[in-house]
Amino acid sequence: MNKILKQVIGWFIAAVFFFPIYFWITVSLKKDKDIFALPPKLFDFELSFQAYEEVFGLSRFLYVEDMGAVRPGGGDFYMMPNLVDSIIIALGSTGLAMMISILAAYALSRLPMRGQQHFMGWILSTRMMPPVAVAIPMFFIYKNIGLMDTHLGIIIIHALMNLPLAVLLMKSFFDDIPKDIDEAALLDGASRFFVFWRLIVPLAIGGIAATAVLCFIFSWTEFIFVLMLTQTGLKTIPVVSTSFVTSTGTAWDNMAALGTAAIIPAFIFILLVQRHLVRGLTLGSVKQ
Amino acid sequence: MANQKSFSLPGIMTSDSSLPWLLPLITMLVVFAIIPFFYNIYLSFHEFVPLKRALIFVGWDNWIRLFTDGVFWGSLKVSLYYTFVCLIIQLVLGMGIALLIDSDDPGFGIIRSVLTLTLVIPPAIAGMIFLIMEDANYGLIPWALKSIGLIGQEDTILSDPSLALWGVMIVDIWQWTPFMVLILVAGLRSLPSEPFESAMIDGAKPFQIFRRLTLPMLHKVIAVAVLIRGIDLWRMVDYVFVLTSGGPGTATYTLSLYSWQRFTFVQWGYGATISLFSLLVILIVGNAFIHFAKVKW
Repeated sequence: MNKILKQVIGWFIAAVFFFPIYFWITVSLKKDKDIFALPPKLFDFELSFQAYEEVFGLSRFLYVEDMGAVRPGGGDFYMMPNLVDSIIIALGSTGLAMMISILAAYALSRLPMRGQQHFMGWILSTRMMPPVAVAIPMFFIYKNIGLMDTHLGIIIIHALMNLPLAVLLMKSFFDDIPKDIDEAALLDGASRFFVFWRLIVPLAIGGIAATAVLCFIFSWTEFIFVLMLTQTGLKTIPVVSTSFVTSTGTAWDNMAALGTAAIIPAFIFILLVQRHLVRGLTLGSVKQ
Repeated sequence: MANQKSFSLPGIMTSDSSLPWLLPLITMLVVFAIIPFFYNIYLSFHEFVPLKRALIFVGWDNWIRLFTDGVFWGSLKVSLYYTFVCLIIQLVLGMGIALLIDSDDPGFGIIRSVLTLTLVIPPAIAGMIFLIMEDANYGLIPWALKSIGLIGQEDTILSDPSLALWGVMIVDIWQWTPFMVLILVAGLRSLPSEPFESAMIDGAKPFQIFRRLTLPMLHKVIAVAVLIRGIDLWRMVDYVFVLTSGGPGTATYTLSLYSWQRFTFVQWGYGATISLFSLLVILIVGNAFIHFAKVKW
């Protein structure tokens, strides 16, 4: 095929897939009259940052500070606490999933084990479970043990959700490191844990970072567990963004401001680990 | 290795047994995956009785109700339709785009980067993006379709029983076709070039090369992509929740959404039964697929 034609079609496809994102960003910067305009105003709308100010309380924050007390908060659309909840949960669940999975993946990659294929199959099967089928029993278990509506409860369930990904992906990164390194060090009298912690983990640090980023993003974007396992105590961004739809109308600009703020850090993260993205998406089975 | 003696270590970590390394993982999976699984089975034989404010054993009632419930069969049909139609469209579209942008020419790297962006958007927010774009009054998709005469002036997308599911599927296709593209591009790039060169010299047509060389050599990559995408399509609940909440009527209920909806109506036992059914289907089909497509991890 003609090279120029290929370029043109390629860029057209990229534009089609990027368009909804662009449109969403413009909604967050528009005033109501432009949001509802048809034909849609894609470039020539009046810029407004009011939605961001309402969602992140910037103006309120500055105002209150002038009065001598820093105490942001208030309005219906103020979402700072939810942003903090989202960050706590994503960081916590990523940390928990990584601690468990790095140890397990090293063993699966290096140590002899009976029935390893079955064990891996079992891990993969947990990746198949529909979230609803886990969340319904967890609802009752959490109610009984007091994890309902808590950060810790969501951190655990998100870590669990990410474990199959993290274990299988980390195993593939450990598999890439020659086993000779371990064996040479073991012959020199080093212990297994020393080899793991001082030699293999530093060598796999790029893979660990990529795995952690994916865990972070999947926790950041997760919806149904937070919806079903929290009541009033906390709400992450995907769940709270549905609360902008009310019977009296939808606050599109606020919702878009929150949505835009939620996706931009994820964009930056994913572009940083793009090299390992396909491997991550396929749980370590397709290497780039 | 001079200082390894001074490195103090837990005794259990010194042996070559893999158990201590796997113990945290096994504990986590048993407590938060195996126990809930059996609890779900327990729930499917019980139902909450509001008058007694307790879960009462009801035997096979939930399962009998499941197989005689029209809404359940409807949602099973929606789930199957959604999964298979989206999977086929994403695979075909993804393959086409992958073949097109599998190139070292300048610019294609940026195109691939742009395509990664949809993957990290929270699905609930992707649903919101299309909720405003498909809005009956001021959405630009109905407006565009009306302008070119594909739908009538009074038609809507999300409140029309025959179009609503497509209104949901378009979001999935938008967000996850790039998933297929990126995996297939990675697969294409890892293929050796010699067989293709000799086929070209032998005068094979592009379509023949694709069918006889590319597809068989990509078999493993395609199988993995289909497996993972298939699982996620079957489990999908975010988009319908945001876009239609299952409506109009019950036209876009998927199994997961119906199960969640019964759960919120305090039919805990029946909700658990539906979710358990959905879980068993994907476990059986998924593992059979892994077996027959010879997918290996």
